[in-house]
Amino acid sequence: MSLVYPNGHQGLKNINVTINDGEFVVIVGMSGAGKSSLIRSINRMVTPTDGELLLDGENILEFREKKLRELRTNVGMVFQNYNLVKRMSVLRNVMAGRLGHTNTFKSLLGLFSQQDLQLGMANLKRVGIEEKAYVRADQLSGGQQQRVSIARVLTQQPKVILADEPVASLDPPTSHKVMKDLRRVSKEDNLTTIVNLHFIDMAMEYADRIIGLRDGELVFDGPISEVTEQTFEEIYGRPIKDGDLLGGEEE
Amino acid sequence: MSEQKISLRKAQTKRGKIIFYLTLLILSILYLVAISKTEFSISSSQASPLETLRRIFIVPITNGDYIVQFPEYIGYMLETIAIAFAGGVVATLLAIPIAFLAARNISKKFSYIGKAILNAIRAIPELIFAIIFVAAVGIGPYAGVLAISINSIGMLGKLYAEVIESIDLSTVDAIRASGGNRLQAIWYGVLPQVLPEFSSYSIYRFEIDVRASTVLGIVGAGGIGAPLILATYQRNWEDVGLILIVVIVFVSLIDFLSGKIRKKLV
Repeated sequence: MSLVYPNGHQGLKNINVTINDGEFVVIVGMSGAGKSSLIRSINRMVTPTDGELLLDGENILEFREKKLRELRTNVGMVFQNYNLVKRMSVLRNVMAGRLGHTNTFKSLLGLFSQQDLQLGMANLKRVGIEEKAYVRADQLSGGQQQRVSIARVLTQQPKVILADEPVASLDPPTSHKVMKDLRRVSKEDNLTTIVNLHFIDMAMEYADRIIGLRDGELVFDGPISEVTEQTFEEIYGRPIKDGDLLGGEEE
Repeated sequence: MSEQKISLRKAQTKRGKIIFYLTLLILSILYLVAISKTEFSISSSQASPLETLRRIFIVPITNGDYIVQFPEYIGYMLETIAIAFAGGVVATLLAIPIAFLAARNISKKFSYIGKAILNAIRAIPELIFAIIFVAAVGIGPYAGVLAISINSIGMLGKLYAEVIESIDLSTVDAIRASGGNRLQAIWYGVLPQVLPEFSSYSIYRFEIDVRASTVLGIVGAGGIGAPLILATYQRNWEDVGLILIVVIVFVSLIDFLSGKIRKKLV
C-alpha cells in the first residue's frame, strides 16, 4: 500500500503488513516518517493512493459514504489532542462515540437508550473517572481528558482502536498511566490496538509487536522479543539518544 | 564609544518629511478655501431653544396632565419591544442555517452562496424593508416584525459564520472518525462550541432591534415610532419628551440587562 499526498509528498511507500486480531501494535519512527499517515489510512481519514487495505477480507479503500461510516464505527480512534468538545459534559462526550450506532433523528434530540448510557458510564468507570461524568470536559486535566476519549472510543464498541500519539501532550507519569489504561482495556475486550509512539522505552513497555517506519518505508516489523537497541538505531537512522526515551515511570 | 540616542519612534526619512509637510500644506489650503468661499450662517427660529428643551424634558415629568399619559406610551414601548423580540427570534432561527452555508470551513466552495445572500440582505437598509413590508402586509406591527427579522438575518448570519469559521474542527474529526454522519458531526461537534456566542450575538442584536423598531414606527410598522413622529410633526414637544423619556429608560434597561446576560454566557 502506498500513499501520495496531493502536494506530491509521498507519505507511505509500499507498506505491506498484516496485523492480527487482538494484537497491541506500536508504530515507531521519527516525526514525518509516516506513522500518522499509516494509522489514519486504516479508518480512511486519509486515503492511500495505491494498493489495498483489507479489513476482515474487505478492501476498505473502495468504501463509499455508507460503508465508510460502518467501517469507522468498527475502527475507533484516540487523538493526540483528545478532540473532546470542551463545553460539553464528560458523559455527553463519551456518548458522542455512540453516534455511529444511533439513529440520526434520535441522536439530534439526545435520546440515547438506557443501555447505551449504562455502557458509557461503565466505560468511564473502567478508566476511573466516573465521578466526573457531569463535569464539563474543559475542567479536566490532560490525562483525564485522554481517559475520556478512551472511554468514548470504548463506548463505540469497535473491533480496532487506533491511537495517534495518544500521550504526546502529557507529562511522563501521566503518559504511563494512560498507556496502562489503554493496554488494560484493549486486552480486556480483546481489541486490536495500533498506537503511534515516538518514545522507545514506552513502545518497549506496552507493545506486543513493533512496526518501525522511516521516510514512509517499513524498516522493522516484529514481536517485542526480537527488538534490540540496534533495531531502533535502524528505525531512527542514527544512534539512540536520551531524548528518545521518556522515562518517568512512577513506582 | 559614544552612545547613540534612541528614540521611541522610527527615524523619519527625508522623503517621509516632505510628504508630511506637503499633505499639511494641501489640507490647509483646502480648509482656507472651504471656510472663506462657503456661506456659513446659523439661522434662528422664533421658538427659543431653551423653551423647547424645557417643554421636552421638564414639563412631562412635572405636569400631572402629562404624567398620567406615561402608561399609554409604555404600552406602545412594550409593543416596540415585542416587535424587536419576535423579529430577533425569527432572525436567529433563520440565520443559523444560512451561517453554516456561509462558513468557509463547513461548506467549502458553496460558502459563496451563503455569503452572497447575507451581503444582499445587508445592502438594503431596514427602513426600505419596513416600507416594502408595510406596502405588502399593511400598516401595523406585523410589517415591523418582518422588516426587523430580515434585516437582522444579514448581520447575525455574518457574525455566526465568523464564529463557525473560528472553531476547532478536531471534534468534528473525532465524530466523523467514530462513524457519525455530517449532521451528527455538526450537532455534536460544532453547535456546543458556537451556541454561547450565538446567543450572545442574538441578545446584542435584540438591543439594536429595540432601537431600530422605534424608528420603524415612523413608516407605519407599529410600535412607539408612530406617535413619536406624529408629535414631532405637530411640534407637540411635551408628547415628544414623554415618548423619548420612555424610550431612553427602556433602551437603557435592556442594554443593562443584555450586558449582564452576555457576560454570563461567554
